[in-house]
Amino acid sequence: MNCPMESRENAQLLVDYCAGKLDPEWEARLDGHIATCAACGEFARRQRAVWEALDGWDAAPVSADFDRRLYRRIEAQVSWWDLLVRPFRSPLGTVTPRRTLAGAAAACLLLTAGILLERPAISPAPAPNEMAQVDTVQPEQVERTLDAMEMLNEFSHHVRTEGSGSKL
Amino acid sequence: MAERVKTDIGKAAAALDLDTELMVRLKEGDGASFGVLLEKHRLSVVHFLYRMVQNYAVAEELAQEVFLRVYRSRSTYEPTAKFTTWLFRIATHLALNALRDGKNERLQERLDDDTSDMPVRQVSDRRPSVEQSMVYQAKLDEIRRAIAALPEKQRAAVLMHKYEEMEYSQIAKVLSCSESAVKSLLFRAYEALRARLAHMA
Ligand SMILES: [Zn+2]
Repeated sequence: MNCPMESRENAQLLVDYCAGKLDPEWEARLDGHIATCAACGEFARRQRAVWEALDGWDAAPVSADFDRRLYRRIEAQVSWWDLLVRPFRSPLGTVTPRRTLAGAAAACLLLTAGILLERPAISPAPAPNEMAQVDTVQPEQVERTLDAMEMLNEFSHHVRTEGSGSKL
Repeated sequence: MAERVKTDIGKAAAALDLDTELMVRLKEGDGASFGVLLEKHRLSVVHFLYRMVQNYAVAEELAQEVFLRVYRSRSTYEPTAKFTTWLFRIATHLALNALRDGKNERLQERLDDDTSDMPVRQVSDRRPSVEQSMVYQAKLDEIRRAIAALPEKQRAAVLMHKYEEMEYSQIAKVLSCSESAVKSLLFRAYEALRARLAHMA
């Protein structure tokens, strides 16, 4: 075989070789070549040293309250909707008829979307390439609106369940 | 060259299916699926971010943001890419932003200062001597500095290649570049690392 050191593309073969990522056939070829090529032998020795050094870099365990903090943040988003829709709930804690609630919530949604679209400077710019499935299709503001609709659905489901449980 | 590299296609496909299925279930309202995804990928995301920014508090904060975005995007999720590609794309984007925003301005002083936030490696049940600990910490410090000295994109590529064991094609998708660009990034990164770390053998 040609010496992999002759091109940068092929030199990456040596990196894969040292990482044990080559298939057996190519590994055997490299074994044979390295036995006769001082430059590749030296490259492999140094690359293996780097690989082993990096193996020694452990990272600490994740904080015990990581999930709790995350779920609290997720809940906070839903609670935000709770606050927004609260005025449309009756003083007795019962829920207004579904249609009224849906209309009121839709109005809130439109108002929020309007604010977001009217004042783009407040929102961070859409993150390019951030979410393959999302950002290539829609700007972040639309994504937020969709998120909001999703949260509203969850909220509506929540209040319906709560409402039926407490007996309207 | 991709065909020269070992791939466990069956295993990868199974993982792809499971993650995708979980995400689809989450989209359909099964909140428990999010917990499974979190459990499965939490550690690798936090560790990747830690090695990128080298500050545990910042890394965990960024990881929270990653999973929050995954959750928030569930309703619009389309299984067009491998879940981990999408996940690390978000993580890399947030890490690069944080580094550029100077959110991690304490990095340099941390490196110069103490190593108190670093994990204590449990090698064996024998307690290492003070001297062994000092040697270990010095080596670790050298590795951290060498990684921190890499340009950000090279750093991300090396971390995904080394610790996440991603293939070139996947790293390329995460970094939105070609496979040959990834190979070039890795070649330069490992060249720099060899210059700084090869003596540690
Ligand atoms: Zn050679």
